[in-house]
Amino acid sequence: MNEINQTVTEADLHAYADGQLPDQARARIEAWLSDNPDDAARVAEWTARNADIRSLFAAYEKSTDTDIGLVTGRRQPANWPKRLATMAAIIAIFGLGALSGHYGPTLFEKPDLQLTELETLPNEARNAFLVYAGEVRHPVEVFANEEAHLATWLGKRLAVQDLKVPNLQELGFKLVGGRLLPVDGSPGAMFMYEDQAGERLTVLVGRNADNRSTSFRFASSGNIETFYWIDGELGYAVTGEVSRDVLRKVAEECYRQFPS
Amino acid sequence: MKTPGQDTFEGQILALLPSLRRYSRSLTRSDADGEDLLQDCVEKVLARRGQWRGLNLRGWVLTIMTNLYRNGRRQTDRAPFVELNDAEDTVSVDPAPDPLERSRLEDALNSLSEENRSVLMLVVIEGYTYQEVATALDIPIGTVMSRLSRARQRIGERMKADNVITLRRPK
Repeated sequence: MNEINQTVTEADLHAYADGQLPDQARARIEAWLSDNPDDAARVAEWTARNADIRSLFAAYEKSTDTDIGLVTGRRQPANWPKRLATMAAIIAIFGLGALSGHYGPTLFEKPDLQLTELETLPNEARNAFLVYAGEVRHPVEVFANEEAHLATWLGKRLAVQDLKVPNLQELGFKLVGGRLLPVDGSPGAMFMYEDQAGERLTVLVGRNADNRSTSFRFASSGNIETFYWIDGELGYAVTGEVSRDVLRKVAEECYRQFPS
Repeated sequence: MKTPGQDTFEGQILALLPSLRRYSRSLTRSDADGEDLLQDCVEKVLARRGQWRGLNLRGWVLTIMTNLYRNGRRQTDRAPFVELNDAEDTVSVDPAPDPLERSRLEDALNSLSEENRSVLMLVVIEGYTYQEVATALDIPIGTVMSRLSRARQRIGERMKADNVITLRRPK
């Protein structure tokens, strides 16, 4: 066990994370890591990131139709003709797909839309909050006394079966009502809540073009905080002029209550 | 077009192409840059075939590609925002659950210098030992370690997200 007393250098930690050490040396580093949580955290981060980087590029390990031309020197000299040909192929395939009404769209689904929405979501949520939360008489279109109707109506516009209006009573926020509004160019829903002091917050729900989820993140602008995330087919944003802590609890509560 | 025989030089390069494509994309900022680097590399390899000593073809080609990349020939001004287009069309080995995290990782990699990025990718993507990297790039192993360290530190800083919380819905 004397070996443990030897200093572990940063180079050792890299070598450990990259799997470049023989067993004996690994054991020595492991003993060190169990006593040095900061180093252990760094190594864990590097190891996880190695896997992420490999995953990022794994799909590129493939052959293409042009490979043989590449090694026999008979490829197109410039990229332009190739790209024109690709465009022509895309147009041709798209035409076929449109005819069959089937394959075209699935071939060209791209994740960009979803990222766009995620970038615009906090802004849209903040704007909606700014415009509507200050309204005294008309903050919403349908008030809380018609909650069932509100849910059915907005669910229909969003094409969501059983759209639930989150219940935030436990956190001290009562439903004011909701309205229809555009989110990223499509029908979206906004629910508004207020606490006993009249402090309001809004929950925005928009349709997500791509069925992939994100983690939870927040954006601040002045005193206004927004928590937002995408969960499957829907994007959500919770906005208010309340502490981040309170808003996070609200967001977590919404996350729990909205169907996945 | 006739497929080159497996024993021929061309045939061996052909067999290496998929993994070369992955490595070239890991160094570059877009699919188009990745393909360009791959094509330049193959051209150079074919032109210099007489210089190959008959051992470790893959290592020889990877060094040529890395040098092409480091010499900055491919660092033309292309759009900085790129997607992993081709990768999206194929069945992904591990569909990343969070597309934003993927794109943040790509941004972080794109912020690395060519020197640091090539060391990182030789280690992570190609599984090179540090000594192999030193030999391939003709630099001391201490330089390999400091570049690797800088690459990781930089990525760590770029990825440090103070606004991301991972939430899981309780079952």
